[in-house]
Amino acid sequence: MFSLYFGHYLLNRGLITPDQLTDALDLTESVHLKLGVLAVNAGYMTASRVGKVHQMQTKVDRMFGELAIELGFLTKKQLDDLLSTQKQGHLLLGQALVDKDYLSLEQLQVALDEYKKAYGLSEGQIYKLQQGDVDEIVNTFVRIADSPEKALYTFYISLMLRNVIRFIDNSPRVESSQIPEKLNAEWLVWQEITGSVNLFTAIAAEEPVFMDLARRYSGQGLLEPDELAQASVAEFLNLHNGLFLVNMSNNGVELEMKPQLIGQNKTVTGLGTGCIVPVYLRSGRFDVIISDSNPAL
Amino acid sequence: MKPLLALVVDDSILVRSAIKEIIKLCGGFVIFEASNGQIAVDTYKDVRPDLVFLDIVMPIRDGIDALIEIKAFDPQATVVIVSAVATHSQVKRAIQAGASDFVQKPWEQSRIISIVEKVKEKKRGM
Repeated sequence: MFSLYFGHYLLNRGLITPDQLTDALDLTESVHLKLGVLAVNAGYMTASRVGKVHQMQTKVDRMFGELAIELGFLTKKQLDDLLSTQKQGHLLLGQALVDKDYLSLEQLQVALDEYKKAYGLSEGQIYKLQQGDVDEIVNTFVRIADSPEKALYTFYISLMLRNVIRFIDNSPRVESSQIPEKLNAEWLVWQEITGSVNLFTAIAAEEPVFMDLARRYSGQGLLEPDELAQASVAEFLNLHNGLFLVNMSNNGVELEMKPQLIGQNKTVTGLGTGCIVPVYLRSGRFDVIISDSNPAL
Repeated sequence: MKPLLALVVDDSILVRSAIKEIIKLCGGFVIFEASNGQIAVDTYKDVRPDLVFLDIVMPIRDGIDALIEIKAFDPQATVVIVSAVATHSQVKRAIQAGASDFVQKPWEQSRIISIVEKVKEKKRGM
C-alpha cells in the first residue's frame, strides 16, 4: 500500500507520468524484490552504499545482505526487517520505477527524502507504512479536523480501511478531503448510529465504483445496480458499522444502529464538523462519511 | 422423508441469499424468507419452521422484538440470531429473549452448517 501513496506523491510532483505509475504498479505485482532497493526505501542505506555492495557482488559470489553487514552498512536487525518485507512479496514501487528506468536510484532516494520531509515521517513511521500499518496510514494521510469527535472519527476511518482491505480490495488508498457544503452522490448508502453519540455514516459513490464495491463484496458478477447490488454495498456498511459498535462496546461505549438506507442521486447538506475520506480502488473513488451532525438528505 | 422448514430473516437480500445457499448445501429444508421482524413473526405463525436465522437491525420491527413474540407464541422455537452487532449487551438481550445461539457477521460457513446439522439431527431423532 505504501507504493500507492508514494507513487501518487511522485505523480503529483510531476516526477513520473500516470502511465509510468500504472506500469510500475503492475510490475510491483510480478517482480521479485531486490534488497538494495528495499534498503534505500527503508532508509537503511544510501544509494552509493548500495552501489558499492553491487560492485563487490560482481567480484565475489556472496549475498547482498551478507556483504552489507560485513561493510557495516546494515545491522543484522535491519537485514532481518528487509528480508521480512521481501518475503511478504510487496515489491516496492521504487524498484519498479528504477527497473523501468523511469527514475534513477539517486532520484528515488532524493524523492523519498523529500517525501519523508513533506509528511514529517521518521524511519520508524516509514517502516510501519511499508508494512501496511493502517493506523499509521490514517494518521499520516488523513487530516481530520479538530473536534470533540476527532479520535472517534480516526478510529472509524482506520476500521473502515481495515474492512475495505479485508472484504473489498487489498490495496486501497485514502486521502484527505474537506467536508463540502453540498455533497452530490449518484449512489448513497447511509446508516445512523445512536447512543451517547449520534453519528451519521455513509458511503457515496458514482455508479461504476458502486458496482465495483457491490461485485467485490458479494463475490457475484453483478451487472446492474439492482436490489442485490444495492444490498451488497449496504450490507458492507452495515457489517462495518456492526464491527465498529463491537469495538466501541469493548471500550465501554454502548451504541446502537438503525437499518441502513440506500438512495440514488442524493444531495447531502449540513455534514457539520464531520469527516469525509476518499478511498481509491483501482476502479475509482468512493467516499466514506461520518458526522455527528444530522445532515439533510 | 418430510422436509424440515427454515426461515431466514434479514433486510438484506444478499444475506438472505447467502444463508439460504448454506442451508441448501446441508439439504433437507424448505426455506422461507422474511425481510423484517413483522414479516418474520407472521411467517413463523403460519409455517412453524424448525429453525430460524434472525437478524437484529431491520426496518419496521427489529429482530429482538420479533424474537420475543416468536418465543411467546412457541417457547420451543429454535431461533439463531445472526448479526454484525455482537456487543455484549446485544448478545445478552438476545439470549435473555430466548435465542438458541448468536452468530456474528461475517460468519464462518462451517458455523452455520454446524447449527443446521444439529437441528436436523435433533428433529430427525424426535
